[in-house]
Amino acid sequence: MIDSNYFYLNVAILSVGTLFIRGFFIALSSKMKVSPQFKDLFTYIPAAIFPALVIPATFFYKGSVVWLYGKERFIVLLVCGIICYFYRSTLFVISLGLILLYLVGVI
Amino acid sequence: MKHFNSGVRAVLPIISGIIPFGAVMGSAFAEARLSFWQAMLMNSTVYAGAAQLATTELMSMNAAIFVVVATGLIINLRFLLYSAAMSPYLQDATPLVKFLCTFTLTDQSYATMMGNQDKFETNHEATQFYLGTAACMILTWHASVVAGFIFGNFAPASLSLDYAIPLSFVALLVPTLKTTNHKIVAVFSSLVSLMFYGLPLKTGLMVTSLLSIGLAWVLIRIKNKR
Repeated sequence: MIDSNYFYLNVAILSVGTLFIRGFFIALSSKMKVSPQFKDLFTYIPAAIFPALVIPATFFYKGSVVWLYGKERFIVLLVCGIICYFYRSTLFVISLGLILLYLVGVI
Repeated sequence: MKHFNSGVRAVLPIISGIIPFGAVMGSAFAEARLSFWQAMLMNSTVYAGAAQLATTELMSMNAAIFVVVATGLIINLRFLLYSAAMSPYLQDATPLVKFLCTFTLTDQSYATMMGNQDKFETNHEATQFYLGTAACMILTWHASVVAGFIFGNFAPASLSLDYAIPLSFVALLVPTLKTTNHKIVAVFSSLVSLMFYGLPLKTGLMVTSLLSIGLAWVLIRIKNKR
């Protein structure tokens, strides 16, 4: 059982801190002039963050296991990434990935 | 409303991954013996799934406040980069719109926005689109957390619906890889993230992101010098 005061204090600090992180640059947006070089840099943010979110989560899904065993999610993700390069539909890629993972599990 | 509706439509395929994640979050709240209103308070004010999951577990182990807060905020630090990337679109927005966009900034909303950024002619259109994705996300997230709190983790494990989240990130990432430099940064981020996976407090994500942004900066400088 989590103590109420302890819970509320944690949630209050987390809420304010997260709002501050989320809003820092947005709040300053009308006051700062973003140079073209920085605008160009912002286009790299998805390429910098999204692989770091999904690659370890799928590669180490079953922990640090030997070779290809337990890497089904990672392999299906790579296949879907390649297919997505040619056929850019979010719905298609998600459906295909889920079906492929299901089939790999069945096999 | 046209662009708001486009945002809603664009984020719909991703919802399949949000529902099981929300269910896991809701059942984690219930397992930590939080009251329904405590769970909803945290879910509404923090509104960040990964950080909530980690901090709820830490709070149920009575971890020090510093550890709980530091863990949650470090996991959420990536929002700082999203905030920077969103800021050019919100330069002329009203304070209320800025607040709404701030409060609802999530991985999925941001990713959907960036995956469709070529479709907007004005910042207003981009903001409308973003708010559409955010509205759909927040409704789905809260509904699935409430369902998870009441019914437990209801998503059948055999369907691996949680896997829709990484798949949706791939589907949204690929259209943003417009140049060779973008592809180089994505490959670099993939490899480095594997190297730093074991870092404590999930700091590997932020270290990888900052290194990748650093590489992007170098590549931009080289490109501009040519």
